[in-house]
Amino acid sequence: MSLQILLIIAFGGAFFTYFLGKFSSRARDFFAVLVSLALLIMVGSLYGGTSYDIFYTGFFNLPLVLKLNTLSWFFAITITIIGTCSIIFSLSYMKGRERTDFYYFMMLLVNAGMLGIVFSGDLFSFYIFWEIMSWSAFLLISYNKGPALAAGMKYIIMSVIGSMAMLIGILSIYANCGTVIISEIASFMPSASSGYILFILALFFIAFGIKNAILPFHTWLPDAHSQAPSPFSAVLSGILIKMGTYGFILIFYSLMGMKFFLDFGSGIFNFHYILCWLGVITIIVPTFIALLQNDAKRLLAWHSIGQIGYIILGIALGTSMGIVGGMFHAFNHAIFKALLFLTVGAVEYRAKGVRDLNSLGGFIKKMPITFFGALVGSLGIIGIPLTNGFVSKWLIYKTLILENHPFLAFAAFIGTWGTLLSFYKFLHNMFLGQLPEKYKDVKKAPVSMQFPIIVLSSIIILFGIFPGIPLKVINTITTSFGFESLNITIWGIVSETGTLNMINIFFAVFIMGIIVWTLFYAGKKSVTVSQEDNYAAGAHIPKEKYHYTVDFYNPLYRIIKPFLKDIISDFYYWLVRVVHKFCDGIRRLYTGDVGDYVLYIIFFLTSLIFIQLRWKPW
Amino acid sequence: MVVKIIQIILYPLMALMIGIFFLGLARKIMARIQWRYGPPLIQPIIDMIKLFNQNSVSHGFMFNFGIIFSLVGSVIVVLFLPFGGICPLSSSGGLLVILYIMLFAPLGVALSGGEGANPNISIGISRKLILALGYEVPFLLAILAVMTHYETISIVEVVKIQQNAGWAIFSLPLFLSGIAYLMILPAILGLRPFDMASAPQEISSGPMAEYSGKFLALMSIEHAFGLFIGIALFVNLFLGGASNALIFFFKMLAVFTALICVNAVYPRFRIEQALKYLWKWPTLLAFTGLVIVSVIGR
Repeated sequence: MSLQILLIIAFGGAFFTYFLGKFSSRARDFFAVLVSLALLIMVGSLYGGTSYDIFYTGFFNLPLVLKLNTLSWFFAITITIIGTCSIIFSLSYMKGRERTDFYYFMMLLVNAGMLGIVFSGDLFSFYIFWEIMSWSAFLLISYNKGPALAAGMKYIIMSVIGSMAMLIGILSIYANCGTVIISEIASFMPSASSGYILFILALFFIAFGIKNAILPFHTWLPDAHSQAPSPFSAVLSGILIKMGTYGFILIFYSLMGMKFFLDFGSGIFNFHYILCWLGVITIIVPTFIALLQNDAKRLLAWHSIGQIGYIILGIALGTSMGIVGGMFHAFNHAIFKALLFLTVGAVEYRAKGVRDLNSLGGFIKKMPITFFGALVGSLGIIGIPLTNGFVSKWLIYKTLILENHPFLAFAAFIGTWGTLLSFYKFLHNMFLGQLPEKYKDVKKAPVSMQFPIIVLSSIIILFGIFPGIPLKVINTITTSFGFESLNITIWGIVSETGTLNMINIFFAVFIMGIIVWTLFYAGKKSVTVSQEDNYAAGAHIPKEKYHYTVDFYNPLYRIIKPFLKDIISDFYYWLVRVVHKFCDGIRRLYTGDVGDYVLYIIFFLTSLIFIQLRWKPW
Repeated sequence: MVVKIIQIILYPLMALMIGIFFLGLARKIMARIQWRYGPPLIQPIIDMIKLFNQNSVSHGFMFNFGIIFSLVGSVIVVLFLPFGGICPLSSSGGLLVILYIMLFAPLGVALSGGEGANPNISIGISRKLILALGYEVPFLLAILAVMTHYETISIVEVVKIQQNAGWAIFSLPLFLSGIAYLMILPAILGLRPFDMASAPQEISSGPMAEYSGKFLALMSIEHAFGLFIGIALFVNLFLGGASNALIFFFKMLAVFTALICVNAVYPRFRIEQALKYLWKWPTLLAFTGLVIVSVIGR
């Protein structure tokens, strides 16, 4: 029952916000925040519960089911956290822009759609919510018009292909099992032929792969992420693409079941092993493409694809530690990627829409809180110890090494170095170094922007030191799939093959920090000077750019650039051109001249008559 | 417990002393190779004390914090590395944690230098990170070969197994990996021919360009730790570690002396040359090593 109320609040709140905006924008802002906070609290209070209720049977006599279990709760809480943060962030980001009622309406609708997805217990309502999410996301991506419209088109075309694949899969399942309720399909699956399973898997793989942007379905993501309004980029990269991950988990472990999924295929052509390699390719190539980007949001977007690789790798590994790592990384990525997009949004807001990494710099002096958020987010995505990203990556790496996949582990490690390089560039070009003359008067980010940044940063550090809190929840999920339970303490993981204990590391860092800090302050006090004072030794230098940003890793670029063409994107464009030419050819038949059409009809009839006379098929 | 606390306090100090000794020794050996007399062995300590008492210039919060961050990282890595029988933090995540905490040091210096807003610093950091990406490829391949072969992620275990089975570098499946590691060790330590990150003649010592006074002192402490970590990791992983501290020290000394001899005679690579070198022979060797380990090793 409570799930229905929750979804009614989510959808109703979205609509009501839109109409409220027609009267007062303040009331609308307040109400939007209120709805998202209420959802956060409601989802939070559902922790640990399970429920299953049929809410509607009028649709072709199919029972539509809402269900709650730990898996859906885990994704729902992630959705509401990111949703709330980005709504609060939007308050000042969207101030004074046009069509804000519409914007808030769509933001809340996307959130509601996603909540619907994770709470739906049958494939039809899953599909309906999936479509609501996809279409409202399309409207938000193309909110800015101009190039955003093209990005939105690209997204929605791929998304529709995915949805169609999913619809075929669902209909086929319905035709074969006579039910669309997930728990009932699960009991049917083991008796199905392996050819049919492959068919279903391929269809859902396309559907979820496109949303999840794993290679080779990633091409919509960089454009969509960079063109969307920043708070929505946070939602898009944080959780919307994670719906694909949720779908994968659902199909692999809920629908097919663990044993069945892991034994599917033979030898090196085992399905989950192939998926692992796909994950690794998804890590490496996009991460290094990200290194070449100059648009801050585009850089983050490419990293989204790269981090999805880690998640897929963890989930596809199919050991309890691997899947715990993968799911924890999905959560972590949601947090730090949302945080990074919000910090870029804050800078973009203050720098009047500039997010080109070559023309910013020195913002640490003007926006310290934003810098702090970007720093913590970057440390998280690199996976520095004491951030949550470290724990999830540690789990994945450990599984890879102990399960004897050294090459997969190597690729994942190198991906981390690519991340380090590009995020140093990100921080350096935007926040460190020289402040350009025209940004001398930039003010701090508004409080409503700082608040979500601070909240998300603290989550990163909190779960970096106490990884046990989320890991316990995830452990419940994986044990419900039939994996063996991990021995999780609040500080980390205890196991015979290597224990992780964050509190040791935390205290070591803390104590050493104090010692080094004391040493630092024991030395003679330093004088803080501006850049010119030291660099030019006090002499006058022309006020120009002294910030080494353009082609930051030039020698590296020259070596790796030839290998980093986005062949897949080129291929899709080629395909588009071919289809375009083909359709253009067909279009020529429609001349608009009645005489021609009569000719076609006569030609058609004669050929029918000819066929009948010659072969007598009818 | 008490023993452990004493170890935690004394072990980094000892590591620092060894690192500083190496710094002094390096100058002495270099001088002798170049037919000079060279400064006394304790010259680095004299310099540090002097630098601590000098005036210094800062550029803001990150400039101060970055260097503390990187130094903390180095000390923590030391606590994770077994030194003979000493290893205070052995049970907190093993080699994977070491690999990740080793990121603290370059990242801290990079963040600190970044706020210095000096193009020379940025160029130096850019070179340093590219170089790191360069040597990380063979480095990770070699380390993964060790972890896969011994089926553990704990460095203490690796040392323990080698005590019985002999040095890894002389065992058949890990031989190539060991050679590859040795070939990239100068790059890890930033010694010539791989000192392009801190090239004093081109970019005024790169990341250190804006440092003065106590910042420079902390940087030389950081450098000392860096030498210790790089060599100690190699000794632990491939030269069998040691059962007591003295033998371990001599192993480190032997490796370091060899590296300094290379350092004394080579000119500096350009960064592209370094990348091409690192991604060619050491990577090929390390890759073959890992293939051998994953095929025959089990």
